[in-house]
Amino acid sequence: MASGGGPPSSPDDWETSPIGNTFSSPGGRGRPKRGRRSSYATPPPAQSDSRFATPGTTPPSSGAANTRRGRGRRSSANPTGVATPSSTDDAQPSSEAGDADEDEAPPMYVWGTNISVQDVNAAILRFLRHFREKPQQIEGKYMMAINHVIEVEGDSLDVDAHDVFDYDTDLYLKMVRYPLEVLAIFDIVLMDMVSRINPLFEKHIQARIFNLKSSTSMRNLNPSDVEKMISLKGMIIRCSSIIPEIREAVFRCLVCGYCCEPIVVDRGRINEPTVCGKPECLSRNSMTLVHNRCRFADKQVVKLQETPDEIPEGGTPHTVSLLMHDKLVDTGKPGDRVEVTGIYRAMSVRIGQTQRTVKSIFKTYIDCLHVKKTDKSRVDVEDPMETENGVTAKDSEPVIDFEDKVEQLKELSRKPDIYERLTRSLAPNIWELDDVKKGLLCQLFGGSALKMPSGASFRGDINILLVGDPGTSKSQLLQYIHKLSPRGIYTSGRGSSAVGLTAYVAKDPETGETVLESGALVLSDRGICCIDEFDKMSDNARSMLHEVMEQQTVSIAKAGIIASLNARTSVLACANPIGSRYNPRLSVIDNIHLPPTLLSRFDLIYLILDKADEQTDRRLAKHIVALHFEDPENSEQDVIDLPTLTAYVSYARKNIHPKLSDEAAEELTRGYVEMRRRGSFPGISKKVITATPRQLESLIRLSEALARIRFSEWVEKGDVTEAIRLLEVAMQQSATDHSTGTIDMDLITTGVSASERMRRENLVSTVRSIIMEKMQLGGPSIRLLELLEELKKQSPGEVHLNDLRNALATLSMEGFVAVHGDSVKRV
Amino acid sequence: MVGLPYDCLANPLGAVRLTFEKAVASGYDPAVLQGKDWGAAELFRQFLSDDDYLSQVPMLSPSTLKWVLPNSLVRFRGMIQDMLGNEFYVGAYKNGDTWRTNKFADASHSPMQTSLDMQIWERHLLYCIPVPGQNVWAESSQEAVRYPQTNLISLQRDKRPREDEGIMGDVDMMEFDANEDSQNSKKMREDDSSLEPLPMPQTLSVGTFSNLSLVPDTDRNTFSCLVKMYDTAESEIKLNDIFEFVGILTYDSELPENRVDNDEFTQSICEDELVHMPPSKVPRIHCITHRKLAANDFLSGPALELMPNTAKELREALMGHLTTVLGNDRVAAQYMLLHLLSRVHTRVDSVAVGKFSLNLTCLNKESMPVFGNNLKLAIESLLPLTRTLPITINYLNTISLTPKKDYNTNRLAFGFLQLAEGSHLTIDETQLQAGTLNATGVDNARVLKSLIESQMVEYDFTYYKMEMPVDVQLLILSEGKSHILPGDLILPLRPSSAEAPLTVDEDILKAWRWYLGTMKSLSHSIDPDMQKVVEDDLVAARRADRSLGSMEFSRLLTMGRLVSISFGESHLSKEHWQMVKELETIRKERLDEKV
Repeated sequence: MASGGGPPSSPDDWETSPIGNTFSSPGGRGRPKRGRRSSYATPPPAQSDSRFATPGTTPPSSGAANTRRGRGRRSSANPTGVATPSSTDDAQPSSEAGDADEDEAPPMYVWGTNISVQDVNAAILRFLRHFREKPQQIEGKYMMAINHVIEVEGDSLDVDAHDVFDYDTDLYLKMVRYPLEVLAIFDIVLMDMVSRINPLFEKHIQARIFNLKSSTSMRNLNPSDVEKMISLKGMIIRCSSIIPEIREAVFRCLVCGYCCEPIVVDRGRINEPTVCGKPECLSRNSMTLVHNRCRFADKQVVKLQETPDEIPEGGTPHTVSLLMHDKLVDTGKPGDRVEVTGIYRAMSVRIGQTQRTVKSIFKTYIDCLHVKKTDKSRVDVEDPMETENGVTAKDSEPVIDFEDKVEQLKELSRKPDIYERLTRSLAPNIWELDDVKKGLLCQLFGGSALKMPSGASFRGDINILLVGDPGTSKSQLLQYIHKLSPRGIYTSGRGSSAVGLTAYVAKDPETGETVLESGALVLSDRGICCIDEFDKMSDNARSMLHEVMEQQTVSIAKAGIIASLNARTSVLACANPIGSRYNPRLSVIDNIHLPPTLLSRFDLIYLILDKADEQTDRRLAKHIVALHFEDPENSEQDVIDLPTLTAYVSYARKNIHPKLSDEAAEELTRGYVEMRRRGSFPGISKKVITATPRQLESLIRLSEALARIRFSEWVEKGDVTEAIRLLEVAMQQSATDHSTGTIDMDLITTGVSASERMRRENLVSTVRSIIMEKMQLGGPSIRLLELLEELKKQSPGEVHLNDLRNALATLSMEGFVAVHGDSVKRV
Repeated sequence: MVGLPYDCLANPLGAVRLTFEKAVASGYDPAVLQGKDWGAAELFRQFLSDDDYLSQVPMLSPSTLKWVLPNSLVRFRGMIQDMLGNEFYVGAYKNGDTWRTNKFADASHSPMQTSLDMQIWERHLLYCIPVPGQNVWAESSQEAVRYPQTNLISLQRDKRPREDEGIMGDVDMMEFDANEDSQNSKKMREDDSSLEPLPMPQTLSVGTFSNLSLVPDTDRNTFSCLVKMYDTAESEIKLNDIFEFVGILTYDSELPENRVDNDEFTQSICEDELVHMPPSKVPRIHCITHRKLAANDFLSGPALELMPNTAKELREALMGHLTTVLGNDRVAAQYMLLHLLSRVHTRVDSVAVGKFSLNLTCLNKESMPVFGNNLKLAIESLLPLTRTLPITINYLNTISLTPKKDYNTNRLAFGFLQLAEGSHLTIDETQLQAGTLNATGVDNARVLKSLIESQMVEYDFTYYKMEMPVDVQLLILSEGKSHILPGDLILPLRPSSAEAPLTVDEDILKAWRWYLGTMKSLSHSIDPDMQKVVEDDLVAARRADRSLGSMEFSRLLTMGRLVSISFGESHLSKEHWQMVKELETIRKERLDEKV
């Protein structure tokens, strides 16, 4: 008697549909009022006039709701709880005897609570009328929203729970604790207001609450949350097909054609009339369902799964079922991350149709009130490369997923040593190489891409090449960046093809060694493509990279169709020097055996040379020993952990789009001019080009990335200075002409330094004079080795056969000599 | 009851009920305490702390399943293959004025509709399977305990499946249902005598029994168990952990066929375990106590005392055995021993410290059947959990190595690489020929590589991947060095004879198993002086050969650790360090001479 709760008492209500019972008609509101304490143990008693499904509850349906409650102990649990003055035409008190006492006695309380219906009603009214976001607003936020809803004939009003909280904390708490009751009142108030503004407006407007103060994690849902309003985040993994749910059924007599009044679904069942309602007919069992006159509502069951970041180690993700109604149906598709606000419900499961015992198990689900799509937690995918993208990103809803996090990140970004700190946090296990790490950091953040109206575009991606001795943790750096970067791809240059998903297992016929020629270079659009063993990449695949690195597209020719795909990717490659160790006497080109055209497309080229340094060796040894024998916990401090770092990078890439300040632009010009000027030494006639326009572009990208690191919208002078420094460090290592010790971009662009060029020219002229001297026009040919002997006599220093060949090639191009195999002939 | 106040074995639910009533009488308020234990678990824990009683609890397995009674106490050893989240159930309800509980039970026995007040409690659902790769010897030790149990339930023997039923073949499903129904109604009439025999296993046993002798393995693989955990924080339980559960075995009395409600909604909400895990196939255990098992718990027989001498002797004997197995290649045997002792002891960032995967090369078509097979048998007899993975192009292209979430059933589909901690995996690459891998194959190759390099297995959740750390000893057998499966250490096998190893006495095997299990878990440290020596050696080595990097150093130190624990010592000594260096020198020579 004391409760509307408890398990269903008759076999027919076991299959009640568990849709929400936040009825807007007062008749339907009885149960929660009485059965507060244990109501969650009851399958929700009805679905016919759920607010989710039936807009515009009409008196007939509320009448039906009343009738069906007139059974057993429920009847008394059925006071017209929300017979508020405002709900004029719906507030017909039910005729049930048990209600009388409560109907008369104001104030009314929701059973088992101290919630007074009138108070809540008034509070909601106050909130809707008076809430303003800013005091100077003339009309309340929600009054405007209501008017808007009426105008567009919408059927729901989104209510930000934060607003409720700010305006009336008490109301908020009540709403979260007793959502069924409070929302029902909310709806009634809304309807009332709407009918006052526009009496002709017939649609039923529902309040959809969203943005609760606190959101629960799926893992922490427990029995005490049942029947509470909760909000949680997750990923949709499965959507059921849309289930049409019958709301009102109409039957027609097969004998006389009489149609009965619409019969409202009562607890999942339709009481099919057994006798024709027409007094003249009264045929038995003649009524048949008329499908197209019935009313159906959409319903969908959606499975929501925990997002990966909430799963503790060694756990599997939890799932929860969501019940969506009407407009919410199909709001998300599998794979979407959403934040859901709804009421947590439990439904008991029956053992079988014929058995009376209820299985003691409850199935839980969430009755959805509001679904909000959240952005991906790794904000990487929509990296706004194109301006139009950037705009839409700003228009879309804010990243609520991240609000707290963003605050943290911003805080972090304000730290003065953020640059250093990030550098330190990048691959903390690899020491030194600080400048390399800084370069990598810039690559992670990236510059801004620019698309000119003319169609020309400037990439924002920074490409980096690491060249170095084996065992200098190049690969580890690559692996680390790969792990950190969004959509990163790690591949080994060995046997990579540019596109395609397949791979080939190759077996060395002699040794039996197996190699996987991985299908690797499935390009990582908007990510970082890490290519290990770049030098071992096939020419074919490499030529593809030319296009990728400058045009940012990749062309595939298949079956006569040439497709151009976007490949807006940064390339991080590492290569071993030819002959396994770097030969400082040779140029970079000679060392890595890469075409200069490709090389020049790298913004930064770092040489990681393994200098035999006992100090470093010892440190490495110490580290490894510590790794194996000591507690590694205390080894690293003050570094930013990987998830934060990822979030930081993602956030910056997505939200920060630095522009050049005038000061910075000036500094750039100055720096660039300076770099170029450095090429011409006073007193030296030869011209060494130190910097090229490509380097200027690199400088811009680098400074933009540096500004991003600070979360700054403006590139400042300091950024440019640092960018220049980074570029110089990289160039000093790679573009140093080892014979003169100066930076020479020609080394990169042609592979030949200026002094080398000079030497070659000298050689050519020497050879020319020798040939002029020794040989007759059209005379007998001379052997290459003899020529070399002669050459060695004349010119000081070492002359290789190769050099001679080169010189001869030049001469033969001039038409001065003809070279056939080993013999040279003057022509 | 005489002797014990409660019959924990045969009528555990009765004991639960009695303790509950007692607790309520002495002031336990179910409404307040939210299902916290009221002393029932303690009672069972005490009961089971006696080995005699514990051994009477039957171990649940396909073979015991056919005679174990429902609602009796059982044990089950399994690996957590999937976690199915929480389940809310009516924990306590008021029947008239008295509180009743449903804890440790599926359905309430007395009808609940008259109850006015009920409490919803929660429990965790775990889907468990027999530990993958568990060897026969590790199993047999557990099943021995079932015999004492037989006489306990002999009074109910008439209902036990008879042997001759095996000939009858499949019992008609209808008959089965009818049986089932009458059973249920009987159950209701007879109050809640839980000593009732189980009709269900009859059908089950007929099938299983005839199968068992022929293909025990398939049967084992399909056997699984749904464990319901109470009073345990979810954080204590991890995927792929091995547990021994003691709890109450139940079968739901319903069958999915019985479900008439075709309401799509109800179905889609409660589909999961009912549809995909029919109770007739998957027994439920309501866990009362549980214990996490390590690989060592699979050993039988008395634990030996750890003495330096025993360790040395056992090591020598085992070395001899391994040498024979590997065709008299003592160096290979040394490495093999170290390999068998390895485990991941720490993880720093992405580095799994302590792993020691071994790539034995020079195994071709001729030598593989001999040594590969001997080795497989030897490892199987020494370690409790072992698996073999022969890879071929076709195999890589078709199978799914990683566990994958199936969103249709909302279950984690088992993948070959879902292995318990401490498992041993032999990957046989000798059959791999040149050919093209498709997307699946590439993925599988990548997964294997990441397993070898970082001891991580990627679980596929369709919309994202999740990396699970594992601790698996990996042995790679190949013809030449495998670049697809980059082992930590490459060692060409140099067999000089091909005699089959002698059969080893079971007692000796037991001792060896104990040796491997115990030494493996030894903690290990280094003295400051020794640390200095090691560091100096490393620096010197690097000076001599610049190509040495952290990988090589790491390997040396892992070996140092393994060599000293193989002697049962917990400190690295100079002597053992020297041994490591010598071993490596020999290995280098071998590698060089090959080229």
